[in-house]
Amino acid sequence: MNQNIIKRNNINISGKGKKPIIFAPGFGCDQTVWKDVLPAFEEDYQVILFDYVGFGGSDISAFNSVKYGKLSGYVQDVLDVCAVLDLKEAIFVGHSVSSMIGLLASNAEQSHFSHLIMIGPSPCYLNDPPDYYGGFEKEDLENLIDMMEKNYIGWANVFSSTLINNAERTDAAKELEDRFCSTDPLIATTFAKACFFTDSRQDITKAKVPSLILQCTEDIIAPKGVGEYLKRNLPNSEITYMNTSSHCPHISDPDETILSIKNYLINQTELLVGEGTGGV
Amino acid sequence: MDRLIENAPCGFITLAKDSKILSINETLVKLLQYPSSEELIGKHLNIVLSNSSRVFIQLYFLPLIKAKHSVEEMYLSLMSANGEEIPILLNASLQKNNEIICVIVPMHKRNALEDELINARKAAEKASHEKEKALLELEEALKILKSQQQELLESNQQNAKFKLDTERELQLAKKIQETALTQNIINDNIKILSYYHASKALSGDIYGFYQITPEKYGIILLDVMGHGISSALVTMSLQSLFQKLISQGVAPEIVMRELDGYLHELFQNNQDAWHYCTAIYLTIDTSTQTVEYINAGHPPAILQKKNGVLEELLATNPPLGTFENISFQSKTSSYTRGTRILLYTDGVSEAFMPNTLHCLLSGSSLVSLAETKELIQKALEDEANKFEKYNNDDQCFILIEL
Repeated sequence: MNQNIIKRNNINISGKGKKPIIFAPGFGCDQTVWKDVLPAFEEDYQVILFDYVGFGGSDISAFNSVKYGKLSGYVQDVLDVCAVLDLKEAIFVGHSVSSMIGLLASNAEQSHFSHLIMIGPSPCYLNDPPDYYGGFEKEDLENLIDMMEKNYIGWANVFSSTLINNAERTDAAKELEDRFCSTDPLIATTFAKACFFTDSRQDITKAKVPSLILQCTEDIIAPKGVGEYLKRNLPNSEITYMNTSSHCPHISDPDETILSIKNYLINQTELLVGEGTGGV
Repeated sequence: MDRLIENAPCGFITLAKDSKILSINETLVKLLQYPSSEELIGKHLNIVLSNSSRVFIQLYFLPLIKAKHSVEEMYLSLMSANGEEIPILLNASLQKNNEIICVIVPMHKRNALEDELINARKAAEKASHEKEKALLELEEALKILKSQQQELLESNQQNAKFKLDTERELQLAKKIQETALTQNIINDNIKILSYYHASKALSGDIYGFYQITPEKYGIILLDVMGHGISSALVTMSLQSLFQKLISQGVAPEIVMRELDGYLHELFQNNQDAWHYCTAIYLTIDTSTQTVEYINAGHPPAILQKKNGVLEELLATNPPLGTFENISFQSKTSSYTRGTRILLYTDGVSEAFMPNTLHCLLSGSSLVSLAETKELIQKALEDEANKFEKYNNDDQCFILIEL
């Protein structure tokens, strides 16, 4: 069972530290998206990477469109990873929809988590006027899913041709590369539907661990208004506005991302010391 | 920008690391219906993307170009200055200076084809899904059918067992009923032979003949209405009563009155179960050579004198169990030796054409009583074979030779 989960979710552990830090990839991507960020944490932390079932190097045979048709399926993946590694008070860094998956997981089993770092989070992508603007109309999201399906046609062969040109890559790397931002339309659209049409606004108010919201400039997937909505409604949360203007700061600007996370964590440690509850 | 690139038959655009437009060729500016490139340069790429493409660029394009340094054949839709969506294919590569070069080819026609392909795939998926569903339903129906078939089979087996049990019970009951019948009497003074045939296992006919004293005999024949189990049950209760009465030498009027009274009493509180019966009772005194009889609604007995003349012992009363408080009156006549009497139930007379019994008797007056009995019996069986329908009533007859 334990070995199964390690294999199923393609868990990889590195780093010299004791305090665990989990990096969870965002929509449709795998753990390779963290490659520019994670070296900065390996000195002081135990760094844990994993893939959701259906993506990257996970065991695709474990994919089940009913279980993974809901956000709860991915939340269970996170809980399974934490349980199999027996994690206590880990820092959870989640990108995009993964930040919300981490929040739901910490609501379900608080003991695994000490802090949440949410990169470009959104509790609800759909507009719900007049009080909430997630940034999308239902039609936009449906068009996006259509676009994903259409790109599957174009992409079916792209990856293999790319690989031929990169002869120096090992087979394992090829395997990983091949599934980067999974092109399986069933898995990608199942995940897309689970993510985009879920409304977690009720869940954020029940948050149990402190969290950092990393808000990028001009992030069209998680607009500023959404980040501020979160700041207001998520207990024990802080918000950091980043200069980078994308939805993937860990890719477009890994240095600023690393700095923002570390600044927050240092402050949190000082807070703990200041309160006399002992340091990390 | 190179003049060739400016007017190349494809869109050309370069992007900064932060996705801002650095340069754009004339072909793409025209495609996007902007008056000049000046309105686009320095703006974020999002300005020319549809809503869904903006998300797609973030989710797929940027991570891919970062990881692989190139993107091939990405489908996107651009948004023109006039708000029209333009489906395009995009190839891009990441340069050493972190600039991104994109080549864009509009694909209106190919897009329509791909839409059709996708629709066809969706239709096929839907059809396959529906087929699967129909198949499942069919399997479910088959399962139900099989279980119903099994139930039917089981209930058939139960029925067969029940039928077998019932048959066994009926055969046993038939034996019991036949045990109640008296044996033939044959001596110097009198011969009494009987024939008894039930239409079903059990008969609504019952008879008895008894030697009351050395010279006196009592002979009774009853036909309870209907046939089968209910009638047979009534015959059995009547039999136990008449056997007692006749054996004690009670007068014919009293025998009949008792039987009549018994039937009235039996059904007085239960009209639904009401049964009546026809009966004929004879006492024969061989010393005085007299026959005394009462006929309660029964087919007339036929008396054949030694000289061949036939007489009928007609009904003297209505059937038993019909009218209450009837007074029974017997009739008496004398006979000479060699006289024969035939008692029968309507199952016998109705099996034949009228007067057939008379003819059979007349025709067999010279043969022995046993042969006459066989003759009638054979005639009955022949009729039964000819006309199945005549076999639906109980048949019984008694032949007496004095």
